[in-house]
Amino acid sequence: MSLRRSKSLTRSQGSLASSSIRPRHDARRQVKDCCRKFVAFMCTQVGVGALIVAYSIIGAFCFISVETQVNNTTTDDVAILRRSYALELWEKTEHLNMFNKTEWMFEMDDVLKSFQDEVSSAIKNGFDARTPEEIWSFPAALMYCLSIFTMIGYGNIVPKTQWGKGLTVIYATFGIPLYILYFLNIGKILAKTFKILYRCIHECTHDKTEDILEQGGYIPQKKVIVPSTACLWVISFYIFTGTIMFANWERWSYLDSVYFCVTSLCKIGMGDFVPGANFYNDSITSQQTKLAINFVYVLLGMGLVAMCYNLMREEVKVKLKEMKEDLKLCLEDLRNRFTGICGSEDYEEEEW
Amino acid sequence: MTLKRSVRRRQKPPFAQRAKDQCRKFTAFMFSNVGIIMLVVIYTIAGSFMFIAIEGKEAMVRTEKSNKEKNLLALKLWNISCCVSNVFNESSYRNLVDREILAFQRKIVKQAQKGSGSGENPWSFPGAFLYSLTVITTIGYGNISPRTSLGKITTILYAIIGMPLFLLYLSNIGDVMAKSFKWIYAKVCLCRICPGVAKRRLLRERRKTLEMIRRQELEDLSSSSGISRSSSTKISGESTTGTNFTDVDIDVEAVIQAEPHTVIVPLTTCVMIMIGYILCGATLFSRWEAWGVLDGSYFCFISLTSIGFGDIVPGTQVLRNSKESIVEVSFILCAVYLLLGMALIAMCFNLMQEQVIHKLRSIKQGGTDEDVDISVSPGRNREDRDRNAV
Repeated sequence: MSLRRSKSLTRSQGSLASSSIRPRHDARRQVKDCCRKFVAFMCTQVGVGALIVAYSIIGAFCFISVETQVNNTTTDDVAILRRSYALELWEKTEHLNMFNKTEWMFEMDDVLKSFQDEVSSAIKNGFDARTPEEIWSFPAALMYCLSIFTMIGYGNIVPKTQWGKGLTVIYATFGIPLYILYFLNIGKILAKTFKILYRCIHECTHDKTEDILEQGGYIPQKKVIVPSTACLWVISFYIFTGTIMFANWERWSYLDSVYFCVTSLCKIGMGDFVPGANFYNDSITSQQTKLAINFVYVLLGMGLVAMCYNLMREEVKVKLKEMKEDLKLCLEDLRNRFTGICGSEDYEEEEW
Repeated sequence: MTLKRSVRRRQKPPFAQRAKDQCRKFTAFMFSNVGIIMLVVIYTIAGSFMFIAIEGKEAMVRTEKSNKEKNLLALKLWNISCCVSNVFNESSYRNLVDREILAFQRKIVKQAQKGSGSGENPWSFPGAFLYSLTVITTIGYGNISPRTSLGKITTILYAIIGMPLFLLYLSNIGDVMAKSFKWIYAKVCLCRICPGVAKRRLLRERRKTLEMIRRQELEDLSSSSGISRSSSTKISGESTTGTNFTDVDIDVEAVIQAEPHTVIVPLTTCVMIMIGYILCGATLFSRWEAWGVLDGSYFCFISLTSIGFGDIVPGTQVLRNSKESIVEVSFILCAVYLLLGMALIAMCFNLMQEQVIHKLRSIKQGGTDEDVDISVSPGRNREDRDRNAV
C-alpha cells in the first residue's frame, strides 16, 4: 500500500519536474525491462526446454547419489538361499532310496517349486541381479527423471530406499507443472509453425484462380484450419520413424516397437519394453548416445502430441459452433413447420 | 388450466417429434454424469473380458512351459546324482547342483522380469479390470502386460479410444464435483445455512478490516511530516471509509443472498483435500496390504499423478497366501480408489483455476501497474495448463 503510494508520488513528481528525475527513472525501468525480458525468455520454448533439460540432469545426479549409497543385500540373500536349497537337495538325496526314481523326482520337484516361489518373491521385493551402481548409470537415471515428470512411469528402474521414494514425490511435485509449461509452450509454437507450413502448401497446391476471380487480386489472409487428418498423419509418421529406429537398435520386432512408441506417447508406459534394456552386447558410449536420443525422441514426441492437441481442439471448436448453428436452424425450421400444421391458435403454446 | 394445457400438449406432438425428444433426452443422459460413469465402467469391463479372452490362453501355455522347465531340471539333477558324479563326494555334488540351480534361477529372473514368474495366471477378471483401467487412465503399472501380438494391437486401439473417453469423464465429473463441493462449502463452512450467524460474522470481519485500514492510515499520517499531499490522501481515505460504513449492511445482504457458485474456495483447502485423500489412501492400503505408511502414500501419489511405476501394486502381498477372493477385492478397491481420486484431483484443479482467475482479476482492478500483471500471468497460465492437461 505504502509502496504503491510512494510510486505514484514519484510518478507525479516526475510529471512535475520531469527533466531532473528522468535518468534515475530510466535506469530503474531498464532493470525492470531486463527482468521482464529474462522472465519472458524463460517462459519461451527455448528457456523452458533448457529448464527441463537442466532439471532432469540435476534430478539424475540427485537420484544417483541417493540410490547408490545403500548397498543392496538382496543379491547376497539370494546366493545364500540357493546354497541352502542345494544343501537341502543333498540331504534329500541322502535320505531317500537312490533307486526309486519317481519318488526322488517328486521330492525334487517340491523343493524346486518352493525355490522358484522364493526367488520370484525376492524379485518382487527388488532383487535385480545387478548392483545399484550398475542400475543407476547416468543415462538410466536421466531416463528415470524423464519418466517421472512426463508421467510416463516406465517402472523398469524404481527407487529402493525411503529417501529415494520421498525424493521422487518431491521431484514430481515440482517437475510436473514445469513439464506442463513446456508441453503447452512447445505445443503452441509447433502448432503455429505447422499452421504456416500447411497454409503455404495449401496455397501452393490449391488453384488460385477462383480466389482471384472472387476477390479481385488481393487475397485476404483467411483463417486456414488444419484438418485433424493432417495432424494424425504427422503423428503416425513420427511413430513410424520411432518404430524403425527402435526396431533396428533394440532388435525388437516391429509390432513391439509400435507398441512401445504408442504406449510412451500416450503416457501409459507399461515398462515391459524399455529402450536401453539391451545392455549386454553394447559398448557404454553407444548406450549413452542411444539413451540421449531416446530422451530427445520422447520429449519431442510429447511436443508433437501437444501440437496435435492444440490444432484438433481448434478444429473441434469450429465444428461444434457449426453444429450448434445447424441445430438452431433445424429447430427454427421445425417450429415453423409446427406453427404451419397446428394453426395460429396454438402459437402461444409453442412459444413457451 | 395448467392441467388442461398439459393434456393438450401431450397430445399435440406427433410421433416423430416425440421420438426426437426421447433421442435427445437419451443422448443428454448418456453425456451427463451418470451416463459417462456407466460408459467408463462398461468400457473397462468389456476391455477386461476382451483381454482375458486374448491373453488368458497364452498365460496358461506359459505356466505350463515353466512347469516343464522345472521338470527338466529335476531330470538333470537325477542324472547328476545317479550317473555323472560320485554320490558320496558331497562337495563336488554340491558344486554341480549349484551350477544347475543358478542357471534355473537366471531363467526364473528373466521370466519374472518379463511377466509373472510365480506361475499363476495374472489374467483373472480383477487383474484384467485393473489392467484396462490403467490403460485408459494412462497410469500403466506394467505388472500385467500383454504378451501376444494380438494383445498388443488391441491395447493400442483400446487406449486410443479409451483415453478421450476418460478425459471426458474427468472433465464432466470434475465440473459436477466442483459445483457440489462449492455448494457444500458455502452452506457449511461459511454458515450460509442460517443467515443470522453469517450476517453477524461478515459484519465483524468487515469492521475488523476497516479498523485495520484506519489504523494504518493513522500510522502513515504520524510517520509522514505534514505535507499537503498526504493530508489530501487522508481526507480521501476517510471519505471512502465513511461511505463504506453506510454500505456495509447492504453489502452483507447482497453477499448472503448471492448464489453459492460465486463463492470462492481457498487454494489451501484444495491442497488440503488432495493431501488428505492421499493420506487416507495410504492408511487404507497400508492396512490392507501390510505396507508401511510411506510406501502407501508413495503408491497413492505415483498412481494419482498417473506416473505408475508398478513397483508397488496392490494384490501382490496377498497373492502369496493364495486367497483368490481377497486379491479380487483388493484389485477392485484399487480401481475404485483410482476412479474417485482422479475425479477429485480434476475437481481440485477446477476450483484452483477459478480462484487464481479471481485473484488475477482483483489484482487487475486494484493496481493498474503493468508489472504486477506480467509477473502474475505465468502463474495463471500454469494453473490453466494444469487443468487442461488433466
